[in-house]
Amino acid sequence: MRPRILVSALATTAVLAGLAACGAPGTSSSDKPSDVDLSSPAKKEGTLTVVTKFADPKYAPYFEQIAKDYEAANPDVTVDLQQVGDQPYKDKIRVLAASKELPDVYFSWAGDFANKFVRAGLAADLSEVLSPDTEWGKTFSPAALRAFETDGKYYGVPIDLDAKFMAYNTAIFDKVGIEAPQTLEDMIADCGKLKSDGYTPVGFGNQYGWPAIHYITQLNAYNVPAEVRDKDYNPASGEFTDPGYVTALDQFKQIADACFVDGTNGLSHEAGQAEFLNGQAGMHYLESVEFQALTKKGGAPSDIADNWSFFRLPPAADSAGDTNAITGAPDGFMVNAQSKQAALAVDFLKFMTSQENGAKMVEQLGWLSPVQGTATADNSFPQLEEALADISKADDFAIWLDTVTNADVANAYLSGVQGILDGSNDPEGVMEDVQKAAEKAKQQVD
Amino acid sequence: MALAKQRRWLTFGWVIPALVLLAVFVYYPIIDNVRLSFFSWSAFSPAPEFVGLQNYKNMADDPVFWTSLKNNVAYAVVSIIFQVGIALVLAAVLEEFVWPKLRSILRSIYFIPSVISITVAGLLFSFIYNPRFGLLNRVLGAIGLESWQHSWLGEQATAIWSIIAMSQWQSIGYTTVLFCVAMQRIPTELYEAARVDGAGRIRSFFTVTVPMVREMTTLLIILTVSGAFLLFNEVMVMTAGGPADSSQVLGTWMYRNAFLADDMGYAAALATLIFALTLIFAIVQMGVARRRRVEV
Repeated sequence: MRPRILVSALATTAVLAGLAACGAPGTSSSDKPSDVDLSSPAKKEGTLTVVTKFADPKYAPYFEQIAKDYEAANPDVTVDLQQVGDQPYKDKIRVLAASKELPDVYFSWAGDFANKFVRAGLAADLSEVLSPDTEWGKTFSPAALRAFETDGKYYGVPIDLDAKFMAYNTAIFDKVGIEAPQTLEDMIADCGKLKSDGYTPVGFGNQYGWPAIHYITQLNAYNVPAEVRDKDYNPASGEFTDPGYVTALDQFKQIADACFVDGTNGLSHEAGQAEFLNGQAGMHYLESVEFQALTKKGGAPSDIADNWSFFRLPPAADSAGDTNAITGAPDGFMVNAQSKQAALAVDFLKFMTSQENGAKMVEQLGWLSPVQGTATADNSFPQLEEALADISKADDFAIWLDTVTNADVANAYLSGVQGILDGSNDPEGVMEDVQKAAEKAKQQVD
Repeated sequence: MALAKQRRWLTFGWVIPALVLLAVFVYYPIIDNVRLSFFSWSAFSPAPEFVGLQNYKNMADDPVFWTSLKNNVAYAVVSIIFQVGIALVLAAVLEEFVWPKLRSILRSIYFIPSVISITVAGLLFSFIYNPRFGLLNRVLGAIGLESWQHSWLGEQATAIWSIIAMSQWQSIGYTTVLFCVAMQRIPTELYEAARVDGAGRIRSFFTVTVPMVREMTTLLIILTVSGAFLLFNEVMVMTAGGPADSSQVLGTWMYRNAFLADDMGYAAALATLIFALTLIFAIVQMGVARRRRVEV
């Protein structure tokens, strides 16, 4: 009845087998292109392959323009830019990695996603040009560089800065008579007041699981000491036995009960955002890269665009972890360790992260750039500048839990937290599953 | 003689490109996929490690695998009921009772959902199922059935059934039209003879229509069942397997293991199982088709 399903199943089988046919990627232990001076290419010529995850029509033109500008500045270079969507990118880059056709420059999230490439020797060590004490490295915010650091080596060039904030509608807060809360207890009390005045306290949708994971990322940072988290998030040593993890899930459950509507597993994140945008919800937890959606330029109605501010998800009064860590991470680009064009790739990335192009990104995409001094009153809006100031005050990034951990651990969290939301699971049960997943991950790495 | 021999070789020559393509793109991947299911490997691992039947043992211990299999079976059973059983009745009603002009309009109306892309249909139903402003909950509320309202795609008990329901909406028109075509080929003399013998319309349905469309019924059962085990798009678009993996099916669980969890060996084992299941149905289909040819 549906021959295309048969075709797609065969195609999947073929892809899986195709991956194998090409064999596993090179086992070379060196992650630095040999005999290549990364600081300047001998000759700027040839083709440079670049794959990004920015196919979204809002973002794609910026990267296309960068590629064009680079070609214009270097007439002998052709930039072969391929942009795919967020989800398809995860498949595409794995297929390319397994078939040894990794592009010269490729996108990476910070955390275990990047570390997989590092462990497999597929990411070039860029320390000699990118360390914080180098000329290029000095142009970046140090926390952003650290997000792509492994064993003291720097592998990724940060391209954007992203952090999670709780936006709130100042008009609604005034009407209800509450202020931005300082502690989690205050926030939960505020949710009660909002609810009794007929508002949805927090616009929230968790259809695909990750929006809840962002809360857990922040709450884990507040409740579990940094060194314990570092050990647990590393697949080789993860145990997840600290009681802080259960506390974090308990706190999430309190937030869910007090601040969310029922049935959020069936609502998309965008539906939650829509509630905030049409003035029904008092708060909404979102990434700074989404801030533009709350501005007039991003299409928000003016009674929202003129009346919002933000705060960090507040910690509970007795938090045992790092209360000055902020959920978020830079995204970045890595250079293929086996690339013959590694030096040219570095040159291209230097071009992309120049002061001028960084400022253009802030203006055109409304993102924060990790290149210092790129956000000004001219090219951004007040909340974005405040967010940048707040990020620079943070001790550390708590990288997204679903990209910083091994995929099995991430999946245990994703499905477990959905269970907490619909009442079919409890914090202890979720942590049991996470511990099992961590055990499995450990065996895989060994 | 020599010419005939040469021609035979020439014929073989013409077939070779197709055979090579089939071998490279269909048979080799299938065989290699089975081989790979005995290894533990990922896109990033330096070398696949031989683990024997471990991936299959893991499958037996994996609760999500059993949920997936159960969901595929549920999908198959419901699809047979709707896309074969009810579609057959619907087609008979259309052919028997409905005025011809209206009949063709109704046929088109039934057929339209099956030409809508699954992404569009998925999005459409996500709106219908939306717990806050979805049509379904609104309608239930309007007729006083608030207690029946659910977060349809967000609750573990309802997610997979909501997807299955959408699928029936999408496919029932297609099978109905196929049944209509089969019924139009039934000689009218048979109905006349039945009427002479005193059979009413319902009696003729069971004694004439059902036996005469048996070929189509068998074919649709087999296609529906094997289609149920290849389910992927519908789930991916609507829930991606959530909440809490309750709506995973074999296809989406394989995808997640291959491309998100980097457990290619386990995914290959799942792919092998899906292949084995669909192969069994295909063999049954071929067997039935051959037997039918003998009957004629």
